Amino acid sequence: MSNTPHAPAPVASEHIELKARNVSFGWEDTPLHWLPGDPFATHTINVLHLLLPAGERWFVHVYKQVLPYVKDEQLRADVVGFIGQEAMHAAAHDDVLPHLKRLGLDPTPYTAQVDWLFEKLLGDRTLPPGKARHWWLMERVALIAAIEHYTAFLGDWVLNADELDRRGADPVMLDLLRWHGAEEVEHRSVAFDLFMHVDGGYHRRARTWATAFTALVFLWQRGARFFMENDPELPAAKASLGQFFRAGRQGTLPSAGAMLKSIPTYLSRSYHPSQEGSTAQAVAYLASSPGANGGATA
Amino acid sequence: MSRALKLAAVAGAALLARRALRGRIARSPLWPLPALDTPVSGHSPRRWLPALITSRTEPADGVLMLTLESPELPPWAPGAHVDVQLPSGLVRQYSLCGDPADTGRYTIAIRLIEDGRGGSREAHAQLVEGAELPVRPPRNRFELVPSSSYVFVAGGIGITPVLPMLREATAAGADWTLLYGGRSRSSMPFTAELAAYGSRVTLVPEDEAGLPDLSALGATPPGTLVYCCGPAPLMNAVREAAPPTAAVHLERFTATTPTTATSRPFTVELHRSGRTIEVAAGETTLAAVRRELPDTPYSCEQGFCGTCQHRVLAGEVDHRDTLLTDQEREDSMLLCVSRAQDDHLVLDL
Repeated sequence: MSNTPHAPAPVASEHIELKARNVSFGWEDTPLHWLPGDPFATHTINVLHLLLPAGERWFVHVYKQVLPYVKDEQLRADVVGFIGQEAMHAAAHDDVLPHLKRLGLDPTPYTAQVDWLFEKLLGDRTLPPGKARHWWLMERVALIAAIEHYTAFLGDWVLNADELDRRGADPVMLDLLRWHGAEEVEHRSVAFDLFMHVDGGYHRRARTWATAFTALVFLWQRGARFFMENDPELPAAKASLGQFFRAGRQGTLPSAGAMLKSIPTYLSRSYHPSQEGSTAQAVAYLASSPGANGGATA
Repeated sequence: MSRALKLAAVAGAALLARRALRGRIARSPLWPLPALDTPVSGHSPRRWLPALITSRTEPADGVLMLTLESPELPPWAPGAHVDVQLPSGLVRQYSLCGDPADTGRYTIAIRLIEDGRGGSREAHAQLVEGAELPVRPPRNRFELVPSSSYVFVAGGIGITPVLPMLREATAAGADWTLLYGGRSRSSMPFTAELAAYGSRVTLVPEDEAGLPDLSALGATPPGTLVYCCGPAPLMNAVREAAPPTAAVHLERFTATTPTTATSRPFTVELHRSGRTIEVAAGETTLAAVRRELPDTPYSCEQGFCGTCQHRVLAGEVDHRDTLLTDQEREDSMLLCVSRAQDDHLVLDL
């Protein structure tokens, strides 16, 4: 459809049947600074818990509406699996929020804004059926594809972030991040394939990438500052770009260079998500993840 | 106006604007994004709040009273109940019978039912002081509507939601009476506390005085509200005895059905599509619905992701998931695992 007559070819060996996993995490023993001695990296990663519950609920909400547009059975099965995985991600991260509040860091002022962003600003809106409604749905499907580019990037990063193990990160939090990261890697092609299937326009892809990237940078720096300024154990802490670059060099956060490199990747016309990341690595982690294998990991 | 004056005015305005902006950000660092009035993230009604059992007593024969404490327990009003998760994973509902002003603390009372579905036996055997008991945020479908007079009728453990109502009605200066029936005096909890209310309370132990006499209910004046909680026969009798115009509030102890392996066939009416479909014994509701409506959203097919939650317009549901809250179960179901309790359901599809 539209202006990409030849969609980029996926790497076939990276495809796998998707199924939601019923996870369970026990948060009782997770400390506020779950990455010992590095509150900045802890809180920068914690921003995930602020954005994902509302964001992934929104993915599910949008994808339920797009199902009737999917004419390919394989893709439909992928989207169905994707929806369940995203619903579980939203719920699992949502459970961390009351725990943060228990530890003296109430995230509600921030999450109530993220809720507004996804439920009101990016919600269904009262549009007449027909062109306007279809446009808004496609715009959101494209936004999700762009955001999923970054969740897959982060998922691949966290699966390979050995520095977090070396620093003694809390095992339950690490398991949550890696279970989530692994499923993001596992289903990294779905949002992009769906977008290519129902629309695929390059202009829309570039435009929504710019919107998603700007919004993510804005929300992430704001979230990291919010956590640092309200941390009950650090009365005078502030977030800064310097800390971000340092953590990137040390390996406790993704490096700025890798992030910059991911931009032209997504904007390349021959890009397909299956070209990056490893399904085998993701599946191997999922097979061993305590949280994804039935048990509370307390 | 001279140029200098204009310049001064613009500079002054800019200065004022900058100050206002800084002041605004200082007052609220998260300005300028608006927030949702009722936050959703981190406030899921499905979340379990960890509470600690701080006391365990037996206020009557076969009745266990537990005090739960946690700084996270939300405020509540008389008539509210909570979902409680027993150690085996069973979920049961119990009315709160403590004092709503006592923040951070819930009191529940559980009657042992020997031939019941196992929840009360497990509670009596395993819930000890110092143990943790997860509860969900309270909900209320038995609210005390403000009035100047009430008639309360309680049967057995049905006294639990009524007890805080009596306190509230008394504090509000309302006129009320309580008719409280039970098997025997020793099996009826809270009789000592009720004695303080004097002649407003009538105790009717069945072994001494038979079933409570509801005939006086027929003379309930208009404007007097009737509240009843107890076994189904008692509630039906109260409904019959009260004048047809009287406002009767009943608290049903919802018996969530046991998960049975048997799956009987039933019919589902798809209200919006105007079609009726048959669900065979060996297939799921979801599979049958998807034959007619292939775009119906679903995902895990095991009752944990919640994607196939749909509104139920009529019919009793045999809920077989562990995800939905008591409130959600009142008007929705998960198509992938749950079925009809009887032989017919009407879905908003």
